[in-house]
Amino acid sequence: MFLPLHRWIWRDPQRCARKLFAFAETEADGGRDLVRAAELTQHATLRRLFTVHAQDENRHAELFRSRALTLMRALPDRSAGFVQLNWVAPGERGLDDLRVHAETDASLLAFLHLSERSAAGHFATYVEALKSDPLTRSVFKEVLEDESFHMNYTLAQLNRIAPKGQKAFLWKARLGRLWKGYLRVMSAIAGKMGTVILALQYFILLPPFAFLAKRAARREPAGWTEVKEQNGPTLKSQY
Amino acid sequence: MNILGISAHYHDSAAALIVDGMPVASVQEERLSRRKNDAAFPLTAIEWCLERGGLEPEQLDAVVFYERPMLKFDRILNSTLRAFPKSWQSFPHAMKNTLGDKLWVGGTIASQLGVPRRKVLFSEHHRSHAAASFLTSPAREAAILTADGVGEWATLTMGRGKREPNRTTISLLRELRYPHSLGLLYSTFTAYLGFPVNEGEYKVMGLASYGRPIMADAVRKIVQRTADGAFRLDLDYFEFHTTARRSFSQRFIDVFGPPRDRYEPIELETPDGRRFADCAASVQLVLEDILVEMARSLQRETGLPDLCLGGGVALNGVANHRILQECGFERIFVPSAPGDAGCAMGAALYADRIHFGNPDREFPDHPFWGPSLQADALAKLAREDRMPVEELDEPRLLDRVAQDLAEGHIVGWMDGALELGPRALGHRSILAAPHSVAMRDRLNRDIKRREEFRPFAPVVPIEDADRYFDLPPGGKRLARFMSGVFPVRPQWRDRLAAITHVDGTARVQVLEQDMAPRLYALLKAYERRSGIPILLNTSFNLAGEPIVNRCVEGYLTFRRSGIDVLVAGQTRVMKPDREKSA
Repeated sequence: MFLPLHRWIWRDPQRCARKLFAFAETEADGGRDLVRAAELTQHATLRRLFTVHAQDENRHAELFRSRALTLMRALPDRSAGFVQLNWVAPGERGLDDLRVHAETDASLLAFLHLSERSAAGHFATYVEALKSDPLTRSVFKEVLEDESFHMNYTLAQLNRIAPKGQKAFLWKARLGRLWKGYLRVMSAIAGKMGTVILALQYFILLPPFAFLAKRAARREPAGWTEVKEQNGPTLKSQY
Repeated sequence: MNILGISAHYHDSAAALIVDGMPVASVQEERLSRRKNDAAFPLTAIEWCLERGGLEPEQLDAVVFYERPMLKFDRILNSTLRAFPKSWQSFPHAMKNTLGDKLWVGGTIASQLGVPRRKVLFSEHHRSHAAASFLTSPAREAAILTADGVGEWATLTMGRGKREPNRTTISLLRELRYPHSLGLLYSTFTAYLGFPVNEGEYKVMGLASYGRPIMADAVRKIVQRTADGAFRLDLDYFEFHTTARRSFSQRFIDVFGPPRDRYEPIELETPDGRRFADCAASVQLVLEDILVEMARSLQRETGLPDLCLGGGVALNGVANHRILQECGFERIFVPSAPGDAGCAMGAALYADRIHFGNPDREFPDHPFWGPSLQADALAKLAREDRMPVEELDEPRLLDRVAQDLAEGHIVGWMDGALELGPRALGHRSILAAPHSVAMRDRLNRDIKRREEFRPFAPVVPIEDADRYFDLPPGGKRLARFMSGVFPVRPQWRDRLAAITHVDGTARVQVLEQDMAPRLYALLKAYERRSGIPILLNTSFNLAGEPIVNRCVEGYLTFRRSGIDVLVAGQTRVMKPDREKSA
């Protein structure tokens, strides 16, 4: 349904390059999360699989970075002021907030499985949308192949370590993703509202204080300021 | 008396514990959370310090935060007002950022640790730096110079410290105030050159060696000297005081050209690459000149032979070398963590010696205040992966590792307690033979995955240092924690190509046997094989990750990178031939 939108998003080589650089950073961050998971787990098999997964993510980061660099070097104008539209076309776990140390092995596997599945869906769409750019398309295809391994091993391991609670973990992970998504949207709205209110205060309340502050600044001599309390003020004050 | 020091909320948060005037533990939060430059309230680090000291929070006599949040808020609000109306975009950002949690840190400490508010104290940012530098040094009396981006209002301070058996003083004589800051000047160029601020300053210093300071006069125009020997930034060239978006202005771009896109690699053979290197060389020269002049005037004023340097700017080893050579000081002391992480220890020491007036104690002269290694964990991890494991007695292990290094293998080396500060000083290090450019390139490419212009540091036993490096008097002390950059003697540069920077220098670590006896013994074992008692010593981490702490972190770093051999305690693990990248 959104294919025409994605074609439009990816059509511009500058936006494409910027998005690929952002994807590279997201993959590298994801790789670090997986290394942390490998450090924390007590299961040798999971440690090995998380490590392989982390190395895959780093390889993906390198693939995205390298393709982005090639695209960027071919651009006549490399200025950075471009909307990336990451809400519409996110990277892998690009919109998820993962706290590895707060997860159990099972909850982490459930989260990773859903996250990989979601990323595979996005990347499959990008493969479709990038028919006019076969080189970028081949990068996504290569990444997509790894995603299927990641989806499979996370589900298989979840089955192994929580054979009875597998569905419950997946549902919890789904609800967790929804809840985090809701919190993100609400935080963003609250952040914008806060910005508007503070900006209004800035223009309505602050001008007289700004006048006084500027006047005080003009009176300050340039250069050194002598320290009045050479041996230091009391440690009890925050001022 | 049990005192906990805390630094947090800007970059590199940390905790430190001192008991009866002696340091017990200190660790950066990033080493435990595994998030590089973690700025969060360092609860994990605090818990570890208390556990190490065998204390419950209620047994603490004081908890000292490293700066004064309200005074800092005063600076943020005032500077926003002074930039009215240009600061309309930064004002909401600054208020949300500060009013969220940074301002209420006293309450956070009291509630998180369950200590009464009256036990929570606040040092000043630059006094914490000064204490971290002076009270951890062996100097009895010294001049003190601290410089960083900004604390509350001060950005640079000069003073003196004196330690007597029953009275310690740190007197700050004068200060430079925000927005006039050497740290912010350097950070602005760091951002302009496309590197992350508070992390990429090393890269600017490394890049500077490839450039010519042909834009130094342009830099001097934006950093104007004042009649009293200080300086002021021409704010028309900066935006850090008006917006959070970027730190340099269009006028800055008009002078120095378009900024580097952070995604684009620096290619030194291109005109843009050379321009960026020239920019780095120019700002480095101006920074050095200003610091040298200030340190010289401080030496004249105090007449003291020792200087203690603190603040993030003290990590600039090239400038430190010039200060040692040109300012009349006989010795310069830079702690292993001169940046904000070290302020946790500095704040705790300041409270102990000066606020509570406790008697002076000698501070142990090493950087190993973090968690100790549980080396037996390595064998278990490696056996689970069916990796070849050897557990050897000390002489055979050292001989074997020296052989590995002589054969061109890269070794991950874990030993004892973790270092405090950004440098690996022999307990969590990646070691390699220092002889060839190929080794440097391999390390940059396969392990550190970083820019090719960045140099690697050597480590050398103290008695051999003069033979290979041109160290001025006092140079060995400055090089104790890798705080100075010194010339490699010309006759050795070809044989030490992996650690010799393009300008013929190296950021050498001069090692005394007492500080890291096992690494010292390894250097001697390597000398018996290669004839040279020097190894390349770089921090044990990969790009974007903090230095490893536990065995499992070292082991997984070893598995994911081109490191060939991993050593922890008496255990040696070697990758099978098919996994080696060499």
